[in-house]
Amino acid sequence: MKIAFTIAARNLLRHKGKSLVIGAILFLGALIMTLGNAVIGGMNRGLRENIVERFTGHIVVISDAQENPNILFTPMGKDIALIKNFDRVKGVLTGQQQIAGFVPAGRGFSLVLTEEGDIDFAMLLGVDFPAYNAMFKENVKLVEGKLLGPQERGMLVSQGRRTRFFNDQNIWLKPAGFSIEEKNFSDEAKKYREKMIVKDSLVLMGASGDSTAFDVRADIKGIVRYEFLDDYWKFFNIMDIETFRECFQWVTSTDAAQNIKADTKALMAPSENLDALFNESTVVSSNVGKAEISKSLKKLKQKSAEQKVFTDAGAYNVVFVKLKEGYDIDKGVRELNAAFKAAEAPAQAVTWQKAIGQLGDMAGIIRGALIGFVFFIFFVAIIIIMNTLSMAALERTAELGMMRAVGAQKRFVTWMFLIETACLALLFGGLGILLGSLSVPVLKAMKITAENNILQLLFGGKTFAPYLSAGDIMFGVAELAWVTIMAAIYPIIVARRITPLDAISRD
Amino acid sequence: MWSVHRQILILATDEQLEVTMQIISMTKVRKDYPLGETTVSALKGVNFAVEAGDLLSVVGPSGSGKTTLLNIIGCIDRPTSGAVSIAGQDITTMSDDALTDLRLYTVGFIFQTFNLIPVLDVLENVEFPLLLMKENKLSKAEIKERAEHLIEEVGLTQQLKQRPAELSGGQRQRVAIARALVTNPKIVLADEPTANLDSDTGHKILELMRRLNEQHKTTFVFSTHDPDVLQYARHVVKIRDGLIAEDAPVLERKRSRTGAKTTK
Repeated sequence: MKIAFTIAARNLLRHKGKSLVIGAILFLGALIMTLGNAVIGGMNRGLRENIVERFTGHIVVISDAQENPNILFTPMGKDIALIKNFDRVKGVLTGQQQIAGFVPAGRGFSLVLTEEGDIDFAMLLGVDFPAYNAMFKENVKLVEGKLLGPQERGMLVSQGRRTRFFNDQNIWLKPAGFSIEEKNFSDEAKKYREKMIVKDSLVLMGASGDSTAFDVRADIKGIVRYEFLDDYWKFFNIMDIETFRECFQWVTSTDAAQNIKADTKALMAPSENLDALFNESTVVSSNVGKAEISKSLKKLKQKSAEQKVFTDAGAYNVVFVKLKEGYDIDKGVRELNAAFKAAEAPAQAVTWQKAIGQLGDMAGIIRGALIGFVFFIFFVAIIIIMNTLSMAALERTAELGMMRAVGAQKRFVTWMFLIETACLALLFGGLGILLGSLSVPVLKAMKITAENNILQLLFGGKTFAPYLSAGDIMFGVAELAWVTIMAAIYPIIVARRITPLDAISRD
Repeated sequence: MWSVHRQILILATDEQLEVTMQIISMTKVRKDYPLGETTVSALKGVNFAVEAGDLLSVVGPSGSGKTTLLNIIGCIDRPTSGAVSIAGQDITTMSDDALTDLRLYTVGFIFQTFNLIPVLDVLENVEFPLLLMKENKLSKAEIKERAEHLIEEVGLTQQLKQRPAELSGGQRQRVAIARALVTNPKIVLADEPTANLDSDTGHKILELMRRLNEQHKTTFVFSTHDPDVLQYARHVVKIRDGLIAEDAPVLERKRSRTGAKTTK
């Protein structure tokens, strides 16, 4: 085979123009592929770092009654089912060796009532804040005011939501007990400073299917932002879990009795004739039948009784779970679901991708588009190389035919062509991979930032941080080898078909 | 499978040659080429035999079928019908791989346009067929020694490291001759070996072929339509319109010109 190497190498030098054209294509293809892989790697890493490590965990546990696993980015914050028998679910989670930690939470969509008579909305995340922020690498950063302490009541409004709230309601939110920080004003706030209404608390009414009767006033303790992917997480306002439960009426009957405020009780006490409250002027006769009312009441009563049982055990509708380092997420999901089933815990585990729904899909689409782009580049490269090599094979008909005439088997011709293409791929493609690999730390050091949402997803965060592991480089080499073989197949077929007779005919 | 075939082929060649002495045998060989909707017959039932060690010239006008005849003898083309035996082997049923091996071990080629590998120097070009060999493979030193010896015989020792582009037409044809002989083939085929050479160089090449034929007892078959070339042949086959018109030793041909018709 040494002679095949000799001929191949010298042919490459002899046809410098062709070699350079093919080499340039291989170089560019390998460079783009390496950078593309680095972007994909960075994106994967960024998404894992910024979503898994800082917001959702690897696995999200929801009620087994919850049909749609996308519980974080549901359209208009659609209501999600409560996890019943949370103590049993908690028991399962505590007993799993693969779990590094978990934080239960309430996720809900709430109406915001203003004294001015307008209605807005807010996405709420009720958690034990110190535990939550500790588990998610202090992703919640303080902008104004203070963060929530242990068992402290109140809410943390995201900076993004505050801006939006001002744009919609002309109300500027600030933390209670803290003065306005004008430096944090949005452009709109600066523009309409004169008409600005300032508030340090919000009246919230949980907008779930069952609980729109109660409203709570929550003090704003702080204005916050999310360190990573703030553009996506800014819709979430954090509050303590107790206020959250009150807002969504996840309260026991005892709690409800205790929560009747003194002034309300005082108003109720002197009313000896309560029937007087319902005189003819205020009561409008209904055409609903008596049987129907009693049926509805019975249903409500039953529902209330059910609610009492699970809320007393701690009411949550989401649990964010982090697995131990390197543990396979799908395996973790399978194991957890099996454990829930065995313990008859009414919950299901889903991957973080499923829990973030469209956001995960969008990331998948961007990743898919990137991979598609890289493969398109290779496809074009394959076509050009294939064409150039096929032409080269035909131009060498006399030489190849003569080789066959003097006794070279077809496999010798195959080897010769493969070696020629492999030499080019190794030299130029190798240079492309090398340059691409060297560019990655340089690009990372440039700290290119993006404000655009899509770009942030592509970057896996706000800063462009391409990442190339040794495995990625090996994958790149394998891709290059694949391209080389693909590009060489047709020219080899052409070359193998050349017969000694073709060489003589050429004469 | 093919390598077993090849071993049998090599053994059969030596043994059978001793018995028959007929190195090339063609019986009722036809070769048709489709040309549009018609068929052109290049060979129309040729019967032909060559004894080992002969120096045979196939002559005939252009289009008479001499190149087709040589291609079939050289195992680079197959007959449409008829039987062809080369060195005791029926080539009509052989696979492509087996034919390639037969060419490598039994036949040497000298082309009209001195087809050499442009990226290899003189020595490497001559060594090339030996490097392709799998059976009876020689050592690196033996390959070099044999190639150098043949290069010396064709008078190109000074050009050992030169590439084909740096050689004259005559020198290239000498390299082709050395390459054709380096495997010690039973047959050397040369298709119009002097066509692209000036007459002086052409005569030198033919003289060389005759000398090598005498020294190595290698069978030489060359085609030509140059009457001057015929003086070097010991046997002449005239071909016309796809048929053998005359097949006789040179002496008999000379007699036939005076009146005695001896050819088939």
